[in-house]
Amino acid sequence: MITTVALIKRNVKLFFRDKGMFFTALITPAILLVLYATFLGNVYEDSFRLGLGGAEISDELMGACVGGQLISSILAVSCVTVAFCSNMLMVQDKANGSRRDLMISPVKASTLSIAYYAATLICTLLICFVATAICLGYLAVIGWYLSVGDVLWLLLDVLLLAMFGTALSSVINFFLSTQGQIAAVGSVVSSGYGFLCGAYMPISQFGEGLQRVISFLPGTYGTSLLRNHALRGALSEMESQGIPSEAVEEMRDAIDCNLYFFDIKVDLRVMLAVLASTVVLLLCVYIFLNLRKMKKIGR
Amino acid sequence: MENNKIIQIEGLCKSFGDVRAVRDLSFSVGEGEFFAFLGENGAGKSTTIHILCGQLPKDCGRVVIDGVDLDKDPFAIKEKLGVVFQSSVLDAPLSVYDNLASRAALYGICGEEFRKRLSELSAMLDLGDLLKRRVGKLSGGQRRRIDIARALLHRPKILILDEPTTGLDPKTRKLLWGVIDGLRKTEKTTVFLTTHYMEEAAEADHVVILDNGSLIAEGSPLELKNAYTGDFITLYGVDEEGVRSLGIPYEPTSGGYRLAVENTAAATELIVANPEIFRDYEIIKGKMDDVFLSATGKTLKGDDA
Repeated sequence: MITTVALIKRNVKLFFRDKGMFFTALITPAILLVLYATFLGNVYEDSFRLGLGGAEISDELMGACVGGQLISSILAVSCVTVAFCSNMLMVQDKANGSRRDLMISPVKASTLSIAYYAATLICTLLICFVATAICLGYLAVIGWYLSVGDVLWLLLDVLLLAMFGTALSSVINFFLSTQGQIAAVGSVVSSGYGFLCGAYMPISQFGEGLQRVISFLPGTYGTSLLRNHALRGALSEMESQGIPSEAVEEMRDAIDCNLYFFDIKVDLRVMLAVLASTVVLLLCVYIFLNLRKMKKIGR
Repeated sequence: MENNKIIQIEGLCKSFGDVRAVRDLSFSVGEGEFFAFLGENGAGKSTTIHILCGQLPKDCGRVVIDGVDLDKDPFAIKEKLGVVFQSSVLDAPLSVYDNLASRAALYGICGEEFRKRLSELSAMLDLGDLLKRRVGKLSGGQRRRIDIARALLHRPKILILDEPTTGLDPKTRKLLWGVIDGLRKTEKTTVFLTTHYMEEAAEADHVVILDNGSLIAEGSPLELKNAYTGDFITLYGVDEEGVRSLGIPYEPTSGGYRLAVENTAAATELIVANPEIFRDYEIIKGKMDDVFLSATGKTLKGDDA
């Protein structure tokens, strides 16, 4: 236990001291902020107003909608990209020889693997919970319609997505061993995940074929969970202000609060179950990979 | 397992595809001994060390360290080994203290026990001012001292030094050897050295020379010198004609001539037979470089991969 805790402390410290890893982790959320600040925010606002058929809603309520869209996107990508960047330590240790130094001691390979997972999860949660607090502060300024329940659900979504990102990165990084591979995977994840999970652009705007492919990706449901919980209050307020429920439902479709798996609307509980099961499955794969390696090298 | 043999290797083999890195290697290292493991790049030294440390599975053979069979209890063996790698593998962004604390915890050393050991190592390696500094900001020599401190944290019985002084300035090299000599005297630590500096190997109790994964020579430096090189007489104050009249190979050196003779007895015989020529001279044994060249047909230089 002493060893595991010491290794977790070492890994967490290394992530926050290594400015390269830390700032790389923040690139994708920063891109999203710039996109929203420059044009996406206005595009969404125009699109929402158009979808409401000219019905008048307050700037505060519109701000809550656009802000909810923004914060759910930021949190959805952050949970995964921060996890990937933080977990790159696992590969860096192999590339720079530190792994050899760790393995020269009587520490079990499983202890090292657990420490990498736990440290990555801690780093990801620290950054993402701070990001959540900032996002909620932003919503409080531009338009707050969330209940305590919504906030708690948001926190749970962040926790689940961070666990998903950590487990996914653990499985992928397991096969990497060089600085070049770190750079390649980091770039692909940073640039690609935002599109795949519907953070940069709602999945509803993709072609039907692509939508079907994306519906198989568990991260998509994580984004949708965040959308639902970040926008629930604002959309309910619209209905209570007399906006037709059909119009609000169309809005839910347009911004991925409603997700469809082969034309079947996916329930929120099913989304949670998909995400949680994926975390368990990825963890099982990670454990299996480690056991196989330990058997191979006799540790 | 012999009582005084702390490392015993028998019939060790390791291949990487078609490349046979280690071929039927057998040797032993005595407890408290200063052992030098020599070979050019790719001779199989690093592969052997990786197997000893349990980082690489062997294809065949047996490795017993301090009475423990590597196949039966690799974790017990790791407790007995301290390794200084060719290049520093500590965490550059962290402080020296954080590095040593995290590595000590790998051996279950923490709290007061860690602080006590750190204090001992600080005194031994003069780490006082370095503990708060980041490893990445240290000079090569300072970093090497930290590497040695890390290897000694758990008081290993065997210290493996994989080319520890490569790239170091003479002062730091002297400091390191002072520490290592001290360890051998006070804690009876066995030192297992690979190096490209033959003058370091010349200080060893026992030397093994590898070539293409096989052992080609072993013994004390004196035994190896006697077996693989002759003696050399450097003769001063004579003209070349006189040297040539001796009828043995020679080469000019600074201020004189260097004659190669078979051994010390032959040198004595030559001197006694030619007192008019041998008025100012010195006799020296061959160097470890000559041993290595004679045994392998190659000179030892560059860094091992």
